[in-house]
Amino acid sequence: RHLTLLVSLLVVRCQLSPPQRPLQASAVLRRVSNEQKKEPLASSSQQQFSSHPTDHQPEQEPQGPRPSYTGQGGQESEDYESEEQLQLRILTAALEFVPEHGWTVEAIAEGAKTLGLSVAAAGMFHSDGSELILHFVSQCNTKLSELLEQEQKLVQLGEAEKKPTDQFLRDAVEARLRMLIPYIEKWPQALSILLLPHNIPSSLNLLTSMIDDIWHYAGDQSTDFNWYTRRAVLTGIYNTTELVMMQDSSPDFEDTWRFLENRVADAMNMGNTANQVQSTGEAVVQGLMGAAVTVSNAETSRAVRAELFLFLSMQNASMFFLPNLEDNMKKNCLS
Amino acid sequence: MGVAAAVAPAVRRWLGQRRPLRCGAGLRGRWPLPAGGVSLRRCSTRVTLEGINKPVIDRIIRVDHAGEYGANRIYAGQMAVLGRSSAGPIIQQMWNQEKDHLKKFNELMVAYRVRPTVLLPFWNVAGFVLGAGTALLGKKGAMACTVAVEESISDHYNSQIRTLVEEDPEKYKELLQMIKQFRDDEREHHDIGLEHDAEAAPAYSVLKTAIQLGCKAAIFLSERI
Repeated sequence: RHLTLLVSLLVVRCQLSPPQRPLQASAVLRRVSNEQKKEPLASSSQQQFSSHPTDHQPEQEPQGPRPSYTGQGGQESEDYESEEQLQLRILTAALEFVPEHGWTVEAIAEGAKTLGLSVAAAGMFHSDGSELILHFVSQCNTKLSELLEQEQKLVQLGEAEKKPTDQFLRDAVEARLRMLIPYIEKWPQALSILLLPHNIPSSLNLLTSMIDDIWHYAGDQSTDFNWYTRRAVLTGIYNTTELVMMQDSSPDFEDTWRFLENRVADAMNMGNTANQVQSTGEAVVQGLMGAAVTVSNAETSRAVRAELFLFLSMQNASMFFLPNLEDNMKKNCLS
Repeated sequence: MGVAAAVAPAVRRWLGQRRPLRCGAGLRGRWPLPAGGVSLRRCSTRVTLEGINKPVIDRIIRVDHAGEYGANRIYAGQMAVLGRSSAGPIIQQMWNQEKDHLKKFNELMVAYRVRPTVLLPFWNVAGFVLGAGTALLGKKGAMACTVAVEESISDHYNSQIRTLVEEDPEKYKELLQMIKQFRDDEREHHDIGLEHDAEAAPAYSVLKTAIQLGCKAAIFLSERI
């Protein structure tokens, strides 16, 4: 791998000497929070080329002020961009080429070109385009968080109404899924790449933090097992809606939003159904106990008692299969 | 049906919930903080999450929440058996303090956006069984359980206080204050247990060792899962 890279770099006039180690997807996810922390490309011990600070100057030219160097080797200035920041910029630039090239190194190479770098810069990344997809997902999640926070601000300032939970969830999931629309053609490919074993930790992490964010802004304050139930339910809703969206050809994805609405409504009803099952179950148990008492008090033969108990139990158990009678009658009267 | 029973009240609450989101700032430090950078305001739904050691704080709050939840259930079990005996009032009083602790940790959990441990349903049952089981050994048995558990918990709180002080006592001032207060309460419970003849309980040392081992395991698991 290093050899082919070496050859390609000799063939192409390189302005940038990339590090030799393949970068983990997680490196893309790490955000440089401290502007002062810089990784000097020059001091990477794995470099095969001797890199002079002067080599980096042409790279910096298209972008901003020329960095000033205090010396060769490890010294860097405040304007010096870290490797991670550079990668992020390349990936962001690469996104516009995704509809054409898919989530591949070609798109990354095109992105690098627009920044004035050599196409060999794409060698910094995995050959399956994982980092590009993870970067995109991360970006979308950040945008969603910002959107939800904006909305929350408005509600607190009294400039907007607080939405009911189901509406909030619907809108949040819709807003997030709409961010996929420009890339919808190639999104199935992205999904399959995200499911690759080496990507699963990162993609799962991104998914769970997004769902947690949505629930947080929806006002979830549960501190018991509900915390997990709600997140699991919403994850299910999100994933299934995403899959429906892949195959939706209706105008502006109407069918998807209707599907989403139904799933959220189902989730809300789940609570009611659970209640009904519980109360029906309790009623059945009481019925069975009553049946047992009746049978034990009946002064008849064993066979008759057994028959009586069986009959009473079946009568009680059938309650499980009858939907709530009152609701049923109401529905029948109205329809 | 058991699953439905567990899910039903939870989802019922979910439906009825219309909690207003109070207090705005500083989820990611994007909004200006008042002078002095208060981290826990009067409405505790928001806390600055910027600059704190999230993994450490997460673990601390998660395990403490689980601990208080478990203690709550232990006292509930004890009350179920000994509620009408002479030890009833004293156990009730200790239980009330634990309920208060749990409430505070619930608030902290929401404020710091910490996830609760998955094992909560298990601690629910295990705690009750432990409390009821030891109470069946008599009043002294219940007191022995209290002594064992409270000793475990106060040691645990002490090590957490040490961790936080090593990290940054200023940043975690309120959390430290709360944990110190709770540690003092738990020590008080421990002393009450000793006063009420815990050491005269049947197989006291065996019981105490077994319970403390269980507590250690519970702490280990709750921190991680």
